[in-house]
Amino acid sequence: MKKLTSAPALFAAAGAFLVTGLLLAFLYAPVDASSMGFSQKIFYYHAPIAETALVAFGIAFVAAILYLRDPDPKWDRLSYVSVRLGLLFSVMVMITGMIWGKAAWDAWWAWEPRLTTFLIVCFLYTAYFVLRQVVEEESRRATYAAVFAIVAFIDVPITFFATRYMPEGLHPVVIRAGDSGMEGSMFLSFMISMAGMTLLLAALVRADVAAARLKDEIDDLKTRIGG
Amino acid sequence: MSIEEGAKFVAAAYAVILAVVIAYYALSARRVSALQRDVELLKAEVEKREAAGSGD
Repeated sequence: MKKLTSAPALFAAAGAFLVTGLLLAFLYAPVDASSMGFSQKIFYYHAPIAETALVAFGIAFVAAILYLRDPDPKWDRLSYVSVRLGLLFSVMVMITGMIWGKAAWDAWWAWEPRLTTFLIVCFLYTAYFVLRQVVEEESRRATYAAVFAIVAFIDVPITFFATRYMPEGLHPVVIRAGDSGMEGSMFLSFMISMAGMTLLLAALVRADVAAARLKDEIDDLKTRIGG
Repeated sequence: MSIEEGAKFVAAAYAVILAVVIAYYALSARRVSALQRDVELLKAEVEKREAAGSGD
């Protein structure tokens, strides 16, 4: 079981799902009949990356709560790594979204609810790293970072539901409860890409937590040496 | 928008994703191997000092 959830196995599974999703998106799913046309193909990775970014911030939120309940450095490591990966995925969402926006709306950027709230998410979690840099004492840094990760998470559901509760924006609501909002072949391609992106996040979290653990081990060994 | 025009945007978007993921993976792999090397060196140093300490 451990082998199936090791980082290399997860990376391999993620790669297999992502490649399959991509092949299905281009060879199986039809070209969108709306005005978006071929540029809609960006959706098959753009939307899963966005959902995965929000999941990463969710993991950081849960790990931060767990740290405040039980100040074990492993929760701080998980929270920190999840925020970093969430931010990485958010950057990819912003860039691919801008490219798609240019193709679909002929504008790189629009101050509409989803884009604006996602940008705020990026700024908030960038501030998380600034906070970690300025607090030197380890346990205080972890506590402040945990509180910040919990507070910053408030913007995540706002971002997710922005298109549903503020429908005046440009972002369409594709998936609704009980309705995938797309053709079967499109939905299959999307779901496989979604699974691939989730596995990629799991693999990266696992690998980065292992790296963070090594870094802590180095600090511990340096303390023992006295340097 | 024609398929040719749309394809440019699609290619650009997927190229960005691929570049970011590969760059992050490569940097992570490099960082992990450097950290593993440091851990081994420091462990050897600790063992050396502990052996020297017990020999006194």
